[in-house]
Amino acid sequence: MLRKKTCVAMLLAGGQGSRLGILTKNVAKPAVPYGGKYRIIDFPLSNCTNSGIDTVGVLTQYQPLELNAYIGSGAPWDLDISNGGVFVLPPYQKGKSGEWYRGTANAIYQNIAFIEQYHPDYVLILSGDHIYKMDYNAMLNYHIRHGADATIAVREVPWEEAPRFGIMNTDSEDRIIEFEEKPKNPKSNKASMGVYIFTWEKLRKYLIDDEADKKSSNDFGKNIIPNMLGDKQALFAYMFSGYWKDVGTIESLWEANMDLLETPMPIDMHDKKWRIFAKNPGMTPHFIAKGAEVTDSLITEGCEVYGNVNHSILFAGVEIEEGASVESSVIMPGSKIKRGAIVRRSIVAENATVGAGAIVGEETGNIAVIGQGVTLPAGVSIPAGEQVDETYTFDTARKE
Amino acid sequence: MKDVMGLIYTGENDARLRELTLTRAIAAMPVAGRYRVIDFLVSSMVNGGIKNIGVIMQKNYHSLMDHLGSGKEWDLHGKINGLHILPPFLTRENVGLYPGLLDAVRSNSNFLVRSKQEIVVLSNSNIIYNARLDELVQHYIDTGADITLMYTKDPSMKRDEYGTYLDLDNSGNVQDVEVMPTHPTYSNCYMQVLVIKRELLNDLADKAVAHGLHSMDKDIILKLVQDKSARINAYEYKGKCWHIDSVQSYFKFNMEVLDPKLRKGLFREDLPVYTKVRDEMPACYGDDPSVINSLIADGCQINGIVENSVLFRGVKIAKDAHVKNCIIMQDGQVHEGAYIENCILDKQAIIKRNARLIGPEAYPIVIGKDVVI
Repeated sequence: MLRKKTCVAMLLAGGQGSRLGILTKNVAKPAVPYGGKYRIIDFPLSNCTNSGIDTVGVLTQYQPLELNAYIGSGAPWDLDISNGGVFVLPPYQKGKSGEWYRGTANAIYQNIAFIEQYHPDYVLILSGDHIYKMDYNAMLNYHIRHGADATIAVREVPWEEAPRFGIMNTDSEDRIIEFEEKPKNPKSNKASMGVYIFTWEKLRKYLIDDEADKKSSNDFGKNIIPNMLGDKQALFAYMFSGYWKDVGTIESLWEANMDLLETPMPIDMHDKKWRIFAKNPGMTPHFIAKGAEVTDSLITEGCEVYGNVNHSILFAGVEIEEGASVESSVIMPGSKIKRGAIVRRSIVAENATVGAGAIVGEETGNIAVIGQGVTLPAGVSIPAGEQVDETYTFDTARKE
Repeated sequence: MKDVMGLIYTGENDARLRELTLTRAIAAMPVAGRYRVIDFLVSSMVNGGIKNIGVIMQKNYHSLMDHLGSGKEWDLHGKINGLHILPPFLTRENVGLYPGLLDAVRSNSNFLVRSKQEIVVLSNSNIIYNARLDELVQHYIDTGADITLMYTKDPSMKRDEYGTYLDLDNSGNVQDVEVMPTHPTYSNCYMQVLVIKRELLNDLADKAVAHGLHSMDKDIILKLVQDKSARINAYEYKGKCWHIDSVQSYFKFNMEVLDPKLRKGLFREDLPVYTKVRDEMPACYGDDPSVINSLIADGCQINGIVENSVLFRGVKIAKDAHVKNCIIMQDGQVHEGAYIENCILDKQAIIKRNARLIGPEAYPIVIGKDVVI
């Protein structure tokens, strides 16, 4: 028998993240690189470690290879321990049945046996879609103090944006009285962050009931939470006021990266007491050559900069050749920007090459994206908002 | 290379490194922005397939132990083999301070006896190299020598009154050895890395120490060559190497890795150099910094001017500060309006507002750990 854990975390990492376009063609959304040396999943995993939660199940199903390899033994997050640790949980065959995860609630339902091994009192449900630093332990204490059956983390959003979110209507004691998914006329601006703590006994019962309901779409937001509210269970909203960013679209992923270049940084990444851990590629410090110009940027290990970089983020091993210019862009690991190329308001995915003199993106307009491993021929021009993968036909006539 | 183990000795003389080695062994000296000298040796061994490595500690070994930890970064935290830290301990035969390499080997003969591998790669820890040690061992096996020494023809390694030099015949057998000659006659500089059978090393060390001898080079290698009682040959390391034994040579190494060609030769893609990870965010550049020809580690915050310098993790350069030809170790700070040139700042050193410090190029100023100026 495994030793009892007070709280086990379950991280839903199975979504495709189709709104990230070609960036999630080969990788699951939580494995998408962010902030110069991280991947999105580093944030919830590091939050768990920093919150003292040492048992985490990561539920995967879409393009799991890169994510699995990245998580590995869990060592970067100190989750390579013998009593607990991080576990990758893909769907598996059970007796006569075996099926994909049908929804967020179904994914947890299919892993009841995993959770039960630890006899937890509480289960923390997370998603791999957001950039934020949060003390889950403080939220757990809140949950216990209120004797809640479920606690949902919320943050106040601008009223005009409220119709885009799942909104919690609460009483003066922060008890949730109503949940509205994307309401046209919101009564509150407390938006759900997709972070839940449940008292495990309660959640277990609702998961089993939900599974028996053939009409259910087996989703936390659509089914479990409304069902619990309908039964007058004690659901509380936990207010979170720090930095939180959904990185579900190309524009928001780009914005979230650019946020790190603000002074002061809206999310304190230098805080030694709440480090964000990541797998380290083990490269030399980066090199800035004579003649290079770097301003207002984040640059990490293994980069070699001979050209100009302004207001941009360079991941490990990126090379910027002489005369190349990178502006307001995100260049992911191992990519090369050749001599004289201009990259503006763009995301260049891993191991891509922007050929000499090529022009990517424009000063205004939507973000241009160069896909993983793509080689842009010299001299081509990619307009704002384009997504370039291997199948893209280069229109050389479109040159500026 | 299941049959090969590594043994690293870290007790070299460090007097000429001044304050830099007050609290650490040469092996633990921070270099190239994020590494320690020993990273190169341990990584070379690991890349060469060696999975059982002992590190003989001598004095000031806390910082080295802290750095190596369980050996996880080098994948040396296995059950069967792994990284073994061998601190000096007091026994009847062992008074704690080793007079020489042989005494150190003998004091740790238990580790040798318990190890299962037949062949040992023995290395000092004050020369930085990144070698194909598997090729060195293959050379040793193929030639059937009793001992194979690794050497370099790198002219920068040849210095008066220092080092050990080899005279070789056409097939690479050692004909003569010079130990610390006033003016070396031979240009083959022994790199203090050798391959030997585990049992032979144990035997030789035991006998030598029993006869009051301490020096591996003088009392074993030179003697065996002179007596012709063993076959000693040599293997040439063709890469660049650096002897870190003085403030000047330490400074020079760090300045040389700024050269992209030398850097790529040392940090080869096929021979990665592993080190302890600190989980710092990428370096942040402010609105108007100016950085020329410098290596900058993660966690740095750069707002001033940095020229020909190596900045370790977490260094802060304020606006209008100017840093030229400097090495600034972990968490160092240079405040507004300060100007420093040819300086080595040890960990957490702080140069306050408007201070000026200019060292001569040939004799860089060393600012000790935690010092505030």
